[in-house]
Amino acid sequence: MEREKETNNIICRCEEVTEQELRDAIRELDLRTADDVKRLTRAGMGLCQGRTCTPLVSRILAQETNKKTGQIFPPNKRPPLRPVKIGLLATEEEKEFE
Amino acid sequence: MNKTAEVVVIGGGVIGSSVAYYLAKKGLKVIVIEKNQGLCFGASGANLAGLVIQNFESPLLEFVRESIKMYGNLSEEIGYNIEYERLGCLLVIDDEDQYPNAVKHVESMRIKGINVQLLEGNEIRKLEPVLGEDLIAGMEDWEGGMVNPFKVTYGFARAAAKLGTSFLLSTEVRKIETNKKEKIISVDTDRGKIETDFVVNAAGAWASEIGEMLGISIPIRPLRGQAIVTEPVPLNERWRCIGDPPSHWAKPSSPKTAEKTKDSVVRLGGRTVIRQESTGNWLIGTSQELAYNNRVTMETIRRHAKGAMRFIPKLKDVNCIRAYAGLRSHCYVDDLPILGKVDSPSGFVLATGHSGEGLMLAPLTGKLISELITENRTSMPINAFSFSRFKKLNQ
Repeated sequence: MEREKETNNIICRCEEVTEQELRDAIRELDLRTADDVKRLTRAGMGLCQGRTCTPLVSRILAQETNKKTGQIFPPNKRPPLRPVKIGLLATEEEKEFE
Repeated sequence: MNKTAEVVVIGGGVIGSSVAYYLAKKGLKVIVIEKNQGLCFGASGANLAGLVIQNFESPLLEFVRESIKMYGNLSEEIGYNIEYERLGCLLVIDDEDQYPNAVKHVESMRIKGINVQLLEGNEIRKLEPVLGEDLIAGMEDWEGGMVNPFKVTYGFARAAAKLGTSFLLSTEVRKIETNKKEKIISVDTDRGKIETDFVVNAAGAWASEIGEMLGISIPIRPLRGQAIVTEPVPLNERWRCIGDPPSHWAKPSSPKTAEKTKDSVVRLGGRTVIRQESTGNWLIGTSQELAYNNRVTMETIRRHAKGAMRFIPKLKDVNCIRAYAGLRSHCYVDDLPILGKVDSPSGFVLATGHSGEGLMLAPLTGKLISELITENRTSMPINAFSFSRFKKLNQ
C-alpha cells in the first residue's frame, strides 16, 4: 500500500505523468534514453519543457536501467527556451527592433 | 561472435520496425540495426503525426488509402495502443483564383471514390467559428486521422521482439558483403558480423549511404522538415487537421526563380498544415528544405507562425513551447518511395524514399516487403515504386 502511494507521485506536473507510468513505459518498451522516455510518456513535453522533471526522470531511468544518474544523457533541448506567442514569432524581422 | 539472421533490417524508424514486425509474423528470424540509442530518432519522430488522404494523386493515393485503412485496427493487430483517431481534414483556400482548382480537386477525389465536400467560407466558419475571415472555401474529408508516431514505431518493435526479432541499438553498419556481387552474404557492423541472405535498406535519409556500400546509387537525399508545437488549447469542434492545398496544385518554380525570390515558400518549398493533438497542443508545419542537419531556423518558424494565423487568427495569442526538425528521405527524381529488390546483388531490398509520408505508409510498406521476401510477389503492385525506374543512374 505504502509503495503504491509512492509510485503515484506526479513527476511531470505539466503533463501529469506519474512515477508508475514512467516505470511501466521504461520496462514495457525497454527504453534506454531520456529522449525515448520523454517521447513515449510526454514527461517533459509540457509548458515548462522538462525544467522541473528532467532530473527526476533521469533518476528513475537510471534506477530502471542499473546505471548512475550521471550516465543518463539529458534529453534534447528544443527551442524556444521560453514560451513565445505565435503572434510574436510571426513578426517581421524589421519590426523586432522598433 | 557472429550472429545469423534470415533478414537484416537497416534502420530503426517506423519503416524498419514495421518491416521487422511483418517479417517476424511470417516466422522469419530478423535483426534490426539502428545507429542511435533508441528507435524513431529520424523523420519517424519529427513529423506532424497525421494521416491525410487529400494530398495524393495516383499511384500513391491507392497506397496511402490502403495503409490508412490498416491503421484502423493496428492497435489490435500489434497489441499496443498507438492512439489512432479518425479525424476530419479540411484543406482551405484564401485566393479566388484557386476556386476552380478546388472544384476540380473535389471531382477528381470523388472519381477515386473519396468523399470530399466543398464548403464555402461562411459555412466552414459556422461549423468552426475560430477559422479566419480570409478563407473563402474548404475541402473536407473524413478518411484520415492521427496516430502517435512514437507508439507506432515502438509498438511495431515490441510486437516484433515478442516474435523473436532482435534490435541492435547504437550499432552502425560498416560493410555489406556479397558473394562476387551476386548475392548478399553478411552485414559487418561495429559490433560484429551478421550472416544473412537478405538486407532491407530502411535507413531513411541515409539510405543512399547504405547503397554506396554495394556500389549502388540510390537517388535519395535528406529533405529537412521543421515544425512548431503550441501549448494546449481547447479542442476544435470539427476539424483538428487544417492545411493548404497539396503542392501539386501550384506550378513548380524553376530553380532560378527559387534562388532569386525572397518568398520562403517558393524558395524552401512546403505549405502550412496544422494539426491538433488530443491533448490540445497544435502542431504546425511543415517545410521542405535541402539541409543535412536537423536544426530549426527562424525563417521557417516565422513562416509557420504566419501560416497558422491565416487559418486560426486566435492562435496569435497562444504560446509556442517547442520547435523541432527532422530529415526525411526524399527521392529527388520523382518524389515517390523506392520499394522492392534490386537486380543485383540478390537479397538487397529497398524500403525507403517515403519523402515525408513514411509514417502514413509504414503499415503497408512493412506488409508488402514481407510478402516480397517470403513469397516473391506482393498483394498490391509496386512496379511504380521499383528501383528499376532509375536504370540510367546505375549504368
